[in-house]
Amino acid sequence: MKFFLCTLLLVSASFVNAQQYMTRSGQVHFFSETAMENIEAENAQMSGLLDASNGGFAFQVQMRAFHFEKALMEEHFNENYVESEKHPKATFQGAFKDWDNAWNDGEPHDVVATGSLDFHGVKQDRDIAGTLTWNGKGWDIETRFPVALEDHAIEVPAVVKDNIAHVIDVDVKATLDPR
Amino acid sequence: MRARSFFTRTAALGLILAAFGTVSAQGLLDALNEVVEDPTLPVTATFKDTRIVNVQSNETPAEGVLHFVIAHRFGTLNSGAYELWGLDNAQMRMAFDYGITDRLAVGVARNTYQKTYEASIKARLLRQSNGPKAFPVSVTWYSVAMANGLKAPTDVTPYYFTHRLSYVNQAVIARKMSEDLSLALVPSFVHRNYVQTTEDAHDLWLVGVGGRYKLTQRLSINGEYHHYLTPQFEEGFSPSLSLGVDIETGGHVFQLHVTNARGMFERSFLAEPAGSWADGSLYFGFNLSRVFTIKS
Repeated sequence: MKFFLCTLLLVSASFVNAQQYMTRSGQVHFFSETAMENIEAENAQMSGLLDASNGGFAFQVQMRAFHFEKALMEEHFNENYVESEKHPKATFQGAFKDWDNAWNDGEPHDVVATGSLDFHGVKQDRDIAGTLTWNGKGWDIETRFPVALEDHAIEVPAVVKDNIAHVIDVDVKATLDPR
Repeated sequence: MRARSFFTRTAALGLILAAFGTVSAQGLLDALNEVVEDPTLPVTATFKDTRIVNVQSNETPAEGVLHFVIAHRFGTLNSGAYELWGLDNAQMRMAFDYGITDRLAVGVARNTYQKTYEASIKARLLRQSNGPKAFPVSVTWYSVAMANGLKAPTDVTPYYFTHRLSYVNQAVIARKMSEDLSLALVPSFVHRNYVQTTEDAHDLWLVGVGGRYKLTQRLSINGEYHHYLTPQFEEGFSPSLSLGVDIETGGHVFQLHVTNARGMFERSFLAEPAGSWADGSLYFGFNLSRVFTIKS
């Protein structure tokens, strides 16, 4: 009996790692809308890890992998706003609230991801709502959330104040496959 | 007793492993970083513009981008109040450079100084990059042909079109040392088909150094100096030295500077700078650039 318990403990401990899901090609899109101009960028290289034993997750994007319509926008984004050389990545790490393994029923579930959003070197605790759907093999994640530039110490000079939204909308789409 | 000890040890091991499981759940970001390799990315914006002051930087317009530059050099600063310290007497250069790809650009320009036309080609041969396949420097090639458009001199016969031509080839070896500091080494070769006297060299070798230091996100100080490797016989020419600032405002880059070079094309500022820092015969001037996205 004791031996059985020990084995169970050992097996369950190692099993924790076996329930991970991962992506390297998550899509992040953001949009800044003002009366003056609209600015948007795409990044299809978001990586992420989900631990299905407890709903823990970590996502990250390379700032330099965001692509804009105009080359100059991309240069200004990296050089003047997000300072990609100092802060090459943005990350979001935390856990899904009330994680339930029974969510893998093929139906979309409204979920809340609670964690720390680290962007431009400034961490913010966030509750981000989204949907989570079991696709038969892994998890599809979809969300749209606002990011206020002020919250992450991104300065917008007076000259272009009317061209850049104070709050940027971020869309994220990813499919996490078993690791 | 023996069984208990075995139980204790295994339980401890199990707990440790379970703890590891929890740790790995919390350290998911570290776990992610272990499996996802950082990509190799080229270093961007070594310089704000395609020129440091007069000389080319390693930068080229991006694919489909038309880079338009209006530049002025006023008269000498030591010309006195009558000339408003040179402001009455401006030389102008107008240039269009187009990025065929992100690594290849072509350009045309016209200068009022000696009514000179230019045709150029600029190629990024190597790009400085960070990541697993890092490379320490950027190397950009620049070739320009210049044609003097002044009326044919009456004292030179015969005077063919080829007399008007000169050529410069140069390599810009640049490195973004840090976010603020960028440096460039620029070896140049100048060929002039026609020179004033038989003592003047048709072929000149120079080596230049240039750099920029960012004071703020949108303001930098820039400088460049070109050293003659071939003895230069023409009197009154001292090596080209320029100092200035770059100011960036959205789609424009303003470059304001003081230089001892009168002309803004390579033959002039490399081989025939005209002014001198020693006697204050310096030229204040600016380059104003604007980019237009032609094809996105």
